[in-house]
Amino acid sequence: MKSRHSKWLSMPFLAWSILFILIPLFMIFYYGFVDKSGQFTTENILSIMKPEHLKALGLSILLSMIATIICLILAYPLSMILSRLGVNQNSFIVLIFILPMWMNFLLRTLAWQTLLEKTGVINSILSFLHLPALNIINTPYAIILGMVYNFLPFMVLPIYNSLIKLDKDVINAARDLGANGVQTFIKVIFPLTLPGVISGITMVFIPALTTFVISNLLGGSKILLIGNVIEQEFTHASNWNLGSGLSLIMMIFIIISMGASTIFDKNGEAGLI
Amino acid sequence: MKRFLERFYIAIIFIFLYAPIVMLMVLSFNNSRTRAKWGGFTTGWYRALFQNQAIMEALYNTLFIAIVSSVIATIIGTITCIALSNMKSHSRTVLLGINNIPMLNADIVTGISLMLLFISFGFRFGMHTILLAHITFNIPYVILNVMPKFRQLNPNTYEAALDLGASPVYAFFKVIFPDILPGILSGFLMAFTMSLDDFVITHFTKGAGVDTLSTKIYTEVRKGIKPEMYALSTIIFATVFVLLLFINLAPAKKEKQIISKEKRHTLPQKAVAFAVISILVISTLIYSNLSKDKEGGQVIVYNWGEYLDPEALKIFQEETGIEVIYDEYETNENMYPKIESGAAEYDIVCPSDYMIQKMIEKDLLAQIDFSNIPNIKNIDSNYMEQSKEFDPDNKYSVPYCVGTVGILYNKSMVTESIDSWDVLWDKQYADNILMQDSVRDAFMVALKKLGYSMNSTNEKELEEAKEALIEQKPLTQAYVVDQVRDKMIGNEAAIGVIYSGEAIYSQRENENLEYVIPKEGTNVWIDSWCILKNAPNKENAEKFINFLCRPDIALMNFEYITYSTPNAEARKLIEDEDIRNSQIAFPDLSQYNNLETYQYLGEDADYIYNELWKEIKSK
Repeated sequence: MKSRHSKWLSMPFLAWSILFILIPLFMIFYYGFVDKSGQFTTENILSIMKPEHLKALGLSILLSMIATIICLILAYPLSMILSRLGVNQNSFIVLIFILPMWMNFLLRTLAWQTLLEKTGVINSILSFLHLPALNIINTPYAIILGMVYNFLPFMVLPIYNSLIKLDKDVINAARDLGANGVQTFIKVIFPLTLPGVISGITMVFIPALTTFVISNLLGGSKILLIGNVIEQEFTHASNWNLGSGLSLIMMIFIIISMGASTIFDKNGEAGLI
Repeated sequence: MKRFLERFYIAIIFIFLYAPIVMLMVLSFNNSRTRAKWGGFTTGWYRALFQNQAIMEALYNTLFIAIVSSVIATIIGTITCIALSNMKSHSRTVLLGINNIPMLNADIVTGISLMLLFISFGFRFGMHTILLAHITFNIPYVILNVMPKFRQLNPNTYEAALDLGASPVYAFFKVIFPDILPGILSGFLMAFTMSLDDFVITHFTKGAGVDTLSTKIYTEVRKGIKPEMYALSTIIFATVFVLLLFINLAPAKKEKQIISKEKRHTLPQKAVAFAVISILVISTLIYSNLSKDKEGGQVIVYNWGEYLDPEALKIFQEETGIEVIYDEYETNENMYPKIESGAAEYDIVCPSDYMIQKMIEKDLLAQIDFSNIPNIKNIDSNYMEQSKEFDPDNKYSVPYCVGTVGILYNKSMVTESIDSWDVLWDKQYADNILMQDSVRDAFMVALKKLGYSMNSTNEKELEEAKEALIEQKPLTQAYVVDQVRDKMIGNEAAIGVIYSGEAIYSQRENENLEYVIPKEGTNVWIDSWCILKNAPNKENAEKFINFLCRPDIALMNFEYITYSTPNAEARKLIEDEDIRNSQIAFPDLSQYNNLETYQYLGEDADYIYNELWKEIKSK
């Protein structure tokens, strides 16, 4: 595939991304660094130090980290089981995880509300069975549940993908050399699937960090996340400068996670599917 | 045992993933317009769905945008991967970094920044702007899926093909393409799914009258999701699911044979190809039924979601020959930037009181020529008078829907009689109180309780109101906008702050509910029709407003939206005596003290309100 011409093939993408990714990004930079009258200011950026913004950011990081960890714990064994099911079911398995996304995101999240409410479906079933009620709606737990639910496929798919690409001979070699199941997993399987894990972590952590719909619907809007703050500034307060400033702060996290995934995944091997 | 545990684990995860989906399917058969109540089994929503032209058109738009944007994104993405695989690792990292930006950026940031871009380029907003935006956020998913396949390629086969005399293009399609095809297909599928599900970016980049299913669902949120949407989702889901089963089970018999590498690839290939073709066929069939004709020009209407009977639009088009291009928004604040930036051209909007004042101040509205609107005489003079709080000379607005904000309580949970905002601070109702999730409405309650004006800009008064709201926060179950109604109907809470229009509906569904206007006074809100300064069809806009002021049409809309009409003649036509004389729907405003209407307080005061609100929310 080495040919002089192939370099030109990146031109459409380059032009496209300059026009529709970098220029808009620059506009956010511009808005983030000026005030309403167009004067340069760092106030928008520094407003992250305000106690309510810091608290919202802290809470967002905490909740999305918990959600990411839960996703990882759920997804890894799941992917291992699925990866053993046989090659010709690949596409089916992948589609089964994407399929829920064909139902609208908002409808799915609203459905969780109906399920979790005090007089909701789950509690009706529990009380029918004379079990204690589950009161997690409008608490951080419900938000975590919503995050895990919506982003779990983004964790399962890359891990599953790196597991099926795993060379079976390597595992057999480890076994032959006397490693037991746990050792094989820790020393061989897990390190080899690390790119998939990292890519999964990024794909779950970032959207969880910036979400506002989940915290509104399942958290009863009582819990302010940084996504809610940004959304409020853009849509309700019409303060785009402050919203842009805070978005720039969020981009720092994005850059960090991008950096992390390039370190662990030098060749961009951990695809989603 | 291990096998059983594995199966059990998978089963649990699948129940978790599919529980809400089953829930939605069940709701699509629910013979009640609210999700909070089971009203018996019906298939009526499915019938209603196919007669609902707006939903069908949105479905077509959604599929069209999803298919076109993901096809283009797939082509660009794949070409890019060819280039990337030949690049030095340094420049590849940079490009892949750029590629990650739209995927990881918050939707709202991407949406607004693209809107700004389109405005500064002078693009007219419409289907094509949505397409450009969707292609932009779809490309990364394609690259992410195709790139790994390139890494697995054996470069020697391509070299060999070239050595054997194949042209580079021929060699690509014969040697490389078959190997990366699974990646391309899954990238396409991922892009398609993302495009299908997107709301925020679409909202900010769409033009007037172009709706996708997502934007339709979100504008419906304020008045409650229509069960037709559940029905449609169920159909889409079931179609795809059956398709999948069919494709995956059919070749199962051949499973025992050794599956060659090539054959493996044909499975997802067939699946996707089949899905795409059937979707294309279905969507062209649907679209061919949606033919339109333009004669008497057009009028572009921008209204709240679910805020006008579609039947009325049909009557207007038949009577005047004027085509109505109808677009919806979810909140005043979502509407405003689209108007202010001139992103899309509209003739008429229906903002609320304070927003009208703001738009007058920002010189966005045109004076209405009332000689073209003789039906204005039908509007109750009380409301014309009340409108003067935001439109001092009654020059810019024609009242359309009016109402009050009050307390809705459940008599089975609250035994005392309620007449004051103080009850929202009563500890015995802890975790049973629903507050409005909007800055002004929340502050209105607190300011009124303290005896201040709800248009206060006095910092001391606002500080007191903030303290009161912080004190109240532990008692509230949730801050909600649209779901008060469903939650109150479903007995989720005892007391809720609600708009009078929703109260009438809620009482119909749950007879234990009672609505009061607190004695300290409250907000009288008015949503009025306004014509925009740069309206391209001003004359038609006036005809449309005049049409809406006709008593029979006003009545029709009242029955559809259940929000009170200021149209006195329409009220006389209401057949149901209880509703005609309802004190909730048509309160005698002179009976109450301290009624006020929101005013636009200026940017500085808005800023203070928002900062205080964030402090309350973060406690």
